Amino acid sequence: MYEIWLMLNIVWEIALGLWPLLLAAAVLWGILMLTAWRRAGTRWRAGLPLALGVGVLVMAVAAPLIPGWNRSTLADMGYWVDWANLLAVAAGFGAVAVAFAWPLSAMRQGLAQR
Amino acid sequence: MNDNPASPRIDPARRRWLQALAAAPVVAGAASAPAPARAAIKTSAHIVIAGSGLGGIAVANRLAGLLDGAKITLVDRKEEHNYQPGYTLVATGVWPVEKVRDRNADFQPAGITWVKDMVAGFDPAANAVVTAGGQRIAYDFLVVATGVQLDFAQIEGMDVGAIGTHGLTSVYPSPQAAQATWAAMQAFTAKGGNAVMTLPATPLKCAGAPLKMSFMLRDRLLKAGTLGASKISFQSALGNVFGVKVVNDNVLERWQALGIDVEFSRKLAAIDIGARRATFVSPEGERQEMPYDFIHVVPPMRAPDAVKNSDLAWQAGPFAAGGWLEVDKSTLQHRRYPNVFGIGDINGTPRGKTAATVKKSAPLVAHNLAEVIAGRQANESFDGYTSCPLITREGSAMLIEFDYEGRLTPSLPMIEPLQDSFFAWLMKVRMLKPAYLAVLKGRV
Repeated sequence: MYEIWLMLNIVWEIALGLWPLLLAAAVLWGILMLTAWRRAGTRWRAGLPLALGVGVLVMAVAAPLIPGWNRSTLADMGYWVDWANLLAVAAGFGAVAVAFAWPLSAMRQGLAQR
Repeated sequence: MNDNPASPRIDPARRRWLQALAAAPVVAGAASAPAPARAAIKTSAHIVIAGSGLGGIAVANRLAGLLDGAKITLVDRKEEHNYQPGYTLVATGVWPVEKVRDRNADFQPAGITWVKDMVAGFDPAANAVVTAGGQRIAYDFLVVATGVQLDFAQIEGMDVGAIGTHGLTSVYPSPQAAQATWAAMQAFTAKGGNAVMTLPATPLKCAGAPLKMSFMLRDRLLKAGTLGASKISFQSALGNVFGVKVVNDNVLERWQALGIDVEFSRKLAAIDIGARRATFVSPEGERQEMPYDFIHVVPPMRAPDAVKNSDLAWQAGPFAAGGWLEVDKSTLQHRRYPNVFGIGDINGTPRGKTAATVKKSAPLVAHNLAEVIAGRQANESFDGYTSCPLITREGSAMLIEFDYEGRLTPSLPMIEPLQDSFFAWLMKVRMLKPAYLAVLKGRV
């Protein structure tokens, strides 16, 4: 329990250091979602596979780059915990990509339907 | 519940994790809530905290939440707050120096009285501290959080102001010294040469730092292509390089493979900075000079004079020579003055002069002090937890956690303490400062 509380606080402190960027991203995401929500013919379900595909692609691209962003290399992956963490961080980037790609993809599907 | 005897059994560690994961949404909802769950204790007590490093401010923030009506006075002249665990990263070129510099005022709780002066003396019999400016401050309860004194004066010829010149380095004194150390390391690794790393015989804060500096110097030489023209020797004043045997043995094994020579029972006694010559002395008093191109000086450490010369210091035993604070190692309450507690590096306890020790002990000190204020006994016990993310090269580290007894105590069941690890490196460079800030603010 303590470790979860600690991790939440670490995430909170990191977010405090990045708040202008996070705020800008949240506003942009809100605008995208609102636009897609109000747009007639947006196909959320049909847009999901493409958004997930974008997420997987971003995850696949991010994974080998993440060590370098942290002054490390893939050769420094010592055991499974390292790989699990690398994949978890990459999955985080992928999830953000899905969040942004989904409204865009759903609107695109709606346009294609017309 | 699983009542089926045929179904697989879940081991206790895994069960704890599953329970913790199940509770995660609840915890997430409370992420910004302050830690204390109990009603604040009403009191008009005056609590003086001597020192505003991590320990002093963390306890101040905790007490502000635990107590209602108390007067808290923080005594420390220092306006800048330094993230000292980051010094090794600055000194080896991983971080810019700005990442270890903050303002103390940004972390103190509201309503606190800040006396911008240093404590020059303690008068525990009269429940008072005296500042360097001559102010006498009476207290009902005292928290000693003064940290250590870097005793460079024990090294004849040493000049802290010369760090960064003539191949002289030391990661310990300040952010500026760490920055100057990196400049000197860059100059040295460009050509290579003879590097001497030192370790004194006294208790150290961040006892892993001398080892990290050695590992990183070797890595920097390798990357600069000058390792072949270089020699690194580690001169330990002790019979080991680290106090936990399994870690000590592991590091020595690694250094043998990496070509880092180690000599024991050799204390740095004197240094001729201009001539780049260091003098080491053996326990028998034999002196030997060593020429160097690069030297990393780790100063002997002791309690500051204000503690050392007071009745708060240990009067006998292994911690008396350094003048360390005489606290009970479990409750961190003073053994002779029950209204006095200690936090952080000043404590005369078997191990643990690290930020990780403060992370685990600050909540305990605040709790035990609040209990004593409420007229009860200090009832929480500290196991001596400490941690050292031991950098082995740029990009990799070992996440070593241990207790008073030197037992390895990984926080997470899957961590292999002696494994070179990207995860441990990521923790060191990305996550431990945010964790430190959360401790400082009294949340974890």
